[in-house]
Amino acid sequence: MAEAKPKSLLLRYLSSTDHKEIGIMYLIFALVMGIVGGFLAGVLRMQLWESSGGVVSPELYNQVVTMHATIMIFFVIIPAMAGFGNYLVPIMIGARDMAFPKLNAFSFWLLIPAALIGIASFFVEGGAAGGGWTSYQPLTSAQYSGTPGVDMWIFVVHLTGASSILGAINFIVTILNMRAPGMNLMKMPLYAWAWLTNAFMILVGTPVLAGAVTMVLFDRHFGTGFFRPSEGGDPVLYQHLFWFYSHPAVYIMIVPGFGAISHIVAAFSRKRVFGYTGMVYAIAAIGFLGFMVWAHHMFTTGLSPWVRAFFAFMTMLIAVPTGVKIFSWLATIWGGTIRFTVAMKFALGMISLFVIGGIGGVWLGNVPVDIQLHDSYFVVGHLHYVLFGGSVMSLLAAAYFWFPKMTGKFLSEKIGNIVFWCMFVGMSMTFFMMHWAGMQGMARRTYIYRPEFEALNKFMSFGYVFMLIGGILFVWNVYQTIRQPLAAGTKDDAWEVNDIQGSLEWMTSSPPPKENFKTIPVVA
Amino acid sequence: MLKKHLTWSALLLLPAALFADPVTSWVFDPVTPVAQEVRDTFQIMLGLTLPFLLLPQVLLVYAIWKFNAKRGHKPATFHDNVKLEIVWTVIPALVLVAISIPAFSTLKKIEVPPKSDLVVEVIGHQFFWEYRLPRYDVGFANEPLVVPADKIVTLNLTSVDVIHAWWVPSFGVKQDANPGRITHAWFKAPAGKYKGQCAELCGPLHGEMYIDVIVVSDDEFGQWLEKKMNAAAAPADSLHSEMLEPEAEMEAAHG
Ligand code: HEM
Ligand SMILES: [Cu+2]
Ligand SMILES: [Cu+2]
Repeated sequence: MAEAKPKSLLLRYLSSTDHKEIGIMYLIFALVMGIVGGFLAGVLRMQLWESSGGVVSPELYNQVVTMHATIMIFFVIIPAMAGFGNYLVPIMIGARDMAFPKLNAFSFWLLIPAALIGIASFFVEGGAAGGGWTSYQPLTSAQYSGTPGVDMWIFVVHLTGASSILGAINFIVTILNMRAPGMNLMKMPLYAWAWLTNAFMILVGTPVLAGAVTMVLFDRHFGTGFFRPSEGGDPVLYQHLFWFYSHPAVYIMIVPGFGAISHIVAAFSRKRVFGYTGMVYAIAAIGFLGFMVWAHHMFTTGLSPWVRAFFAFMTMLIAVPTGVKIFSWLATIWGGTIRFTVAMKFALGMISLFVIGGIGGVWLGNVPVDIQLHDSYFVVGHLHYVLFGGSVMSLLAAAYFWFPKMTGKFLSEKIGNIVFWCMFVGMSMTFFMMHWAGMQGMARRTYIYRPEFEALNKFMSFGYVFMLIGGILFVWNVYQTIRQPLAAGTKDDAWEVNDIQGSLEWMTSSPPPKENFKTIPVVA
Repeated sequence: MLKKHLTWSALLLLPAALFADPVTSWVFDPVTPVAQEVRDTFQIMLGLTLPFLLLPQVLLVYAIWKFNAKRGHKPATFHDNVKLEIVWTVIPALVLVAISIPAFSTLKKIEVPPKSDLVVEVIGHQFFWEYRLPRYDVGFANEPLVVPADKIVTLNLTSVDVIHAWWVPSFGVKQDANPGRITHAWFKAPAGKYKGQCAELCGPLHGEMYIDVIVVSDDEFGQWLEKKMNAAAAPADSLHSEMLEPEAEMEAAHG
């Protein structure tokens, strides 16, 4: 395909409404943006190599902090999850496409202007937004950040938010209406369950974020005072609105990964997923409870102790279904025959790292402890354990697992192995030590720091090098493999794992034909 | 106490001892009753969560070794066990309740200050701190806060511009200073010099918005106070009016 007529291939993709092609475009987009976000991370680690900084100015440092997070969240993890979701969910439920194919294409294409605006904002007067991905008020109000960077950031959030919301509607309608005959909800694969929950979370949460940043926009340009104390507004209100979305958002970034891990872990243990029903309830519980914990990001703002006690309790509670997932994965591999493919290594690595991130989260939910840890490097460590150790590792697992289904070609296990170890070792070096630095009092989002922390930071920056090598090798692996000619005879069940699972994506050709199935399967 | 100390230092210290030379650490150097209690709460929590941190790792490593396909065994076929699932739902839930109890009692201690000996108004500016002692009509900015030792010092915090946070790790105090609101915190510290810094991103120079607190004996505090009061009924006032002009402040911070 690719080598025959590249131009017509390009055109086909540009005009595509096919969920598989859109899924692949999401994934390529995420990969490209991952390079940008990873580059910005490199700038941060270089700046922090020495305690006195010196690589970038304080202003630029804040812009890089802000855009690194914004890009990684809105342009890498969420689109990459959406890419796999788009590709896999319709096939897994035995549908021919998403419910609204044109809307689906539109959701994707919204991301392109969003990304261009985000990157362009570095080059406008005053540079990109510098208030952190949280953009607390009044720091990013007209008074304290008068340049266009913040407006462009708001526009980015609007566009990606619209993309997410439209995508979520599509997922919900597709999953609820287009399942193959016989597939009732409790027979649906866990990956589809994860996406159904995820889509509901996006649908409830994202409009609130869009509303919050619109209020910021109005405060900035149209004289309102939602968040301006001098007008009777309240900056703390912004934090409530922001976290009402952004706590669920952190789950939006991991729940599809949970789904993927269940499939991969079961496949390479040659067992069925343990505790399917419990897993479904756990995902749903996480989705529901996720909306009742937001103020755990605000334990130092001066909320009343009762409010904090409530949110602390709910935060502890959400660790329970999270634990159910961990234990069920362990029970899934227990007694199996484990094959250590690269996908399986990433999946097991994800479980190991995510446990650390989750326990870190419980610590942070403990109010008095959080008062100390909040806005320290501990939080940075926690969030990277769950987002890199959890989300990114599960995306890489998914990539190695479903690549042969999507392209008919296998990614190299040999290179993949190095990618895995680079990522695992690199991320542990960088992010484990962040917990430590935070407990000793190193504040986050500072462009210089106390000299006592220099040795620790050098160690962390060193870990980045491993992740960089891993990232480059992964991109190379994907690029190399796509360029190879299509191997005839890639099996439908590429990994020969589906006799136990019976997941529908392995029952059609690799790659699947247009409309996915010759005849729609009937689920017993 | 020693045992608890050992468990967590084993986990955290071993890898990090190589690097660490902390000056400000609430974990190792809590000086106020609150910070000590926070540390104890932390240790209880650590003890209770450590099994959940380690058990999955141990099981994972064991499974990787034991169930390797190379051993040539047949995979098991079980795929649920309601009893087991109830156990791993209920036990963590109980443990989390057990963590909450000391957490909430410590929270109460943080929130309910004993009768105050000295009230300090803390005002955040981009990028420095202003302090006022209303009872003595003393105000100063961009220099260390001086307070008497072993006295209950209560802080009323606010900000004239963006949100800042007053954080001194060894006091166990981190409290946002929000514009348009007044928040509260308190501490009772022994004599000494303590360091902290702003903990809420407040603009480009946020990383340089340090905090220094000097805790001195009653006598020394009295002398310091007298000097401040003599030196400056007027400067304190002028500071007050300057406060409305953020530009002037910026220069004050970096002049
Ligand atoms: C057991 C589950 C979890 C618990 C109990 C938990 C708890 C917390 C708490 C209390 C904070 C606030 C810390 C602070 O700022 O003082 C926090 C921050 C954060 N968490 Fe989690 N968390 C959990 C899982 C996750 C997951 C799964 C993700 C994402 C995949 C995540 C991503 C984040 C992020 C990004 C932040 C930092 C936000 C910021 O300030 O920029 N967490 N978590
Ligand atoms: Cu949260
Ligand atoms: Cu600050």
